[in-house]
Amino acid sequence: MSFYFAIVGTKDNPVYEAEFGTSKQGGDGVARFREEQRSMNQFIVHSSLDIVEEVQWATPTMYMKCVDRFNNLLVSCFLTAGNIKFLLLHDQKADDAIRQFFSDVYDLYTKTLMNPFYEVDMRITSGVFDGKVKQAAKKYL
Amino acid sequence: MSSAFPSLRTRPTLPAVGVSRATSVYLRNSSTAPVHSSVTSLNSLFNQTNLNSPRPPEDEDCKGLVCRAFVPHIAVHVSDDTNELAREKGFVDFKDMLRPYGESIQGRITIRDSQGISTTHDDYGVRFVSLTDVAGSGEKWETGASRAMNGSSEKATGSNGSGVFQGGSVEEVEELVNLHMERAEELNETSLPSDGDTSTFNQSFYMLYLRRLLSALPLSPHETFSHPVACVIAISSRNANPIDSLRNLYNSGNQLPLPDYVSTDYLRYYVLVHDEDRDDIKKSTLLFDQMKKHFGLHCHLLRLRSGGASVISDDDAVIVPKSQWISAAEELHEIRSRDYHDEQPTACLPDSDATGIQTMVREMAQVSVIPFMERCIATWNDQVASRRRGISGRFISMSKRYFSSSSSRNSTPSSSNYDALNQSYPPSSPEAQMRKLADYAFMVRDWRLAHSIYELLRTDFNNDKAWKYHAGAQEMAAISLILTGTGLTSKVRADTIAPMLDLSCYSYLSRCSATYNALRCLLVAVELLRTRGGGAADEAATWAVRAREIIANTHTPNTTTTSIGHALITERVGACYSVRAGIGSGAWGARKRKAAMWGMLAAGEWLEVAKLAQSRRCLDSALVMYERSGFAHVRGFVEHLKRQAGYTPLLVDLHDRDRQGNDGGANNEDDDEEEEDEGVEIQSEMLHAGLKRKSLVIERGEVVAEEAGNGLDRFVDS
Repeated sequence: MSFYFAIVGTKDNPVYEAEFGTSKQGGDGVARFREEQRSMNQFIVHSSLDIVEEVQWATPTMYMKCVDRFNNLLVSCFLTAGNIKFLLLHDQKADDAIRQFFSDVYDLYTKTLMNPFYEVDMRITSGVFDGKVKQAAKKYL
Repeated sequence: MSSAFPSLRTRPTLPAVGVSRATSVYLRNSSTAPVHSSVTSLNSLFNQTNLNSPRPPEDEDCKGLVCRAFVPHIAVHVSDDTNELAREKGFVDFKDMLRPYGESIQGRITIRDSQGISTTHDDYGVRFVSLTDVAGSGEKWETGASRAMNGSSEKATGSNGSGVFQGGSVEEVEELVNLHMERAEELNETSLPSDGDTSTFNQSFYMLYLRRLLSALPLSPHETFSHPVACVIAISSRNANPIDSLRNLYNSGNQLPLPDYVSTDYLRYYVLVHDEDRDDIKKSTLLFDQMKKHFGLHCHLLRLRSGGASVISDDDAVIVPKSQWISAAEELHEIRSRDYHDEQPTACLPDSDATGIQTMVREMAQVSVIPFMERCIATWNDQVASRRRGISGRFISMSKRYFSSSSSRNSTPSSSNYDALNQSYPPSSPEAQMRKLADYAFMVRDWRLAHSIYELLRTDFNNDKAWKYHAGAQEMAAISLILTGTGLTSKVRADTIAPMLDLSCYSYLSRCSATYNALRCLLVAVELLRTRGGGAADEAATWAVRAREIIANTHTPNTTTTSIGHALITERVGACYSVRAGIGSGAWGARKRKAAMWGMLAAGEWLEVAKLAQSRRCLDSALVMYERSGFAHVRGFVEHLKRQAGYTPLLVDLHDRDRQGNDGGANNEDDDEEEEDEGVEIQSEMLHAGLKRKSLVIERGEVVAEEAGNGLDRFVDS
């Protein structure tokens, strides 16, 4: 089981991207995507923004659960108050674990946003942020 | 595939002036193909037939396409002298002469539905088929399983040897579309877009694909669309003893070995073909009166000129329209024979003949065939369907079920009409009659009645385990429900239509291994849902994805090659998404990103089958979304595709990018493009935006051709 996680800004621009594998059931936390699947992942996540834009008006919560699917791949979404989307591509349903993961990432993102040198839609290159997201992934997924 | 038709390309330009033949009198279109140069002569060669025929003006009218696909079939059974008359006019036989005129009946046709309400249709049509072909094709269909197992060898002999062309082959349709595409691509390279048809040109390959899938529906027990509704029995005035030969034709028509499941109580329509130039009209009128006395109302006197005594001038000749609904096998055969033999002149008829045939077809449909169908519907509805629908009918079907479950479980010959051995119902059984009733109702476009009958049949066929019938009833129930036009809420779609289509596909595929039927079912549903727009378009896309999987599965032996059909359907998924319009200023709920993604996937697949022009076209529409995408892998993928397809960006984009100072994603193409810019700029201002790229392509023709060649080579190598 491999995951592709992307934070997408307000102009469909990727703010942060990461790949990781599962750490449950003896997984080593390394993503196993073939090279051609990498571009497909981005295509799928990008195209699911269409659905997110529709579902966001009908869902009262920020976590929209699973919004879209492509063949056997699912896309879950979390929409922040500032219209930043957290999108996670996964292949098995795990609503609760993903919710916890998203809320942790939301914490981290909000802290990044408080940085006076960071502006909305800017790419997040901080190694600390990256490390903490990976930790959250290891913890929940 | 291209190696099979080497003569297409290598053939020298033929002078358009045909050689007059000794025996047959051909009327020629007086303005056939003026030869300008080698380029335009190629153009004109295909222009006459191929490029125009798949592209009627109502190209995007999908509902109309589906309506016109399911129309009554009329068998033609004529005497030898009538065929001879048609042959002298340059047709293969009498049926061949009638066929183009049957496809679109002139004027409006009024149909009274089961509620007694009249509706008029101005795009009604009928199909003429030869009765002997019906008999021949039925046999072939029964050995369908063995044919599939034996593979192509038997298919080749079947389609060429007997001369019976039948639809229902996905491979042949793909082959045909491939051929058309190759030609179009050749023309594209060599000619300027003269009539601005580039945009209609795009959609048409899919429409051609769909049309050919729906053409010449194969004769099969589980649906009666291709069973003859009526039969034209014709003799000509040359016949020595006309009444006798009519009687003989009647008898021989009955004795033809039609498949068991085809009901023979169709309407007989008697036609006397009068030869104006050789025979006396008085004699013919007398004979016609006699015919009327013998056979009743369903008679017609058709007056044709044969050019026997007087010479027919070219002035009043009209070109016979091309048949739009011929099977893929037949069109392939036609194209091939055009390569091997002399160029066949375009068929023409004198104006009076054409009007005569049109009048006859119209009268036959309006006065005889449609009322006959209406009567059949009323009778069967009263006698068969209402009995089944009533309380006693329910009781009978229920007791049947319990009875069958109490006795031996799998073989219940006493309680069921289903003949498991032949996998068909006899035509006299109530189930077969109801299916016929439903199909008739569908063909006269009484969707509501058709739907209610298909609904009844669904459960019956399920109880009898008649899987192909079951799948067929499910398919048509879903399609007729969509066609009824009543509010198709998302609940109805999810609870009713989706399971029906799903079950139908499952039955077709895993129980009957009938890929063609499953594909047809899905694609028709996709088109109908797509035209509804809104949420239905989303579902259309998901069903199209399903169809795409079916196509992919049929090509299991060589999984690496994507087929043309696969690419076409992939592109169609994108088209389904793109019809969905958003709401409000932000266009919330539009599917522009999804449409773009499928466009990209399609572009990739077109490259895999080495159709560069198609690929570039997909790129054209999809690039807008990804031109400035921040996703690195997406950009890489897009750039790769662009290189492979030899894609030249639109001038507009080029300028935009220059102005914005090129955001980092600089590709090596940019340098030489800037050099070209000035050369093309003046020209581009005059041209329509859609044609800009074309002008660029021509300006830097060598570069593109080279790139395209490289891309091709790579695929051929790998």
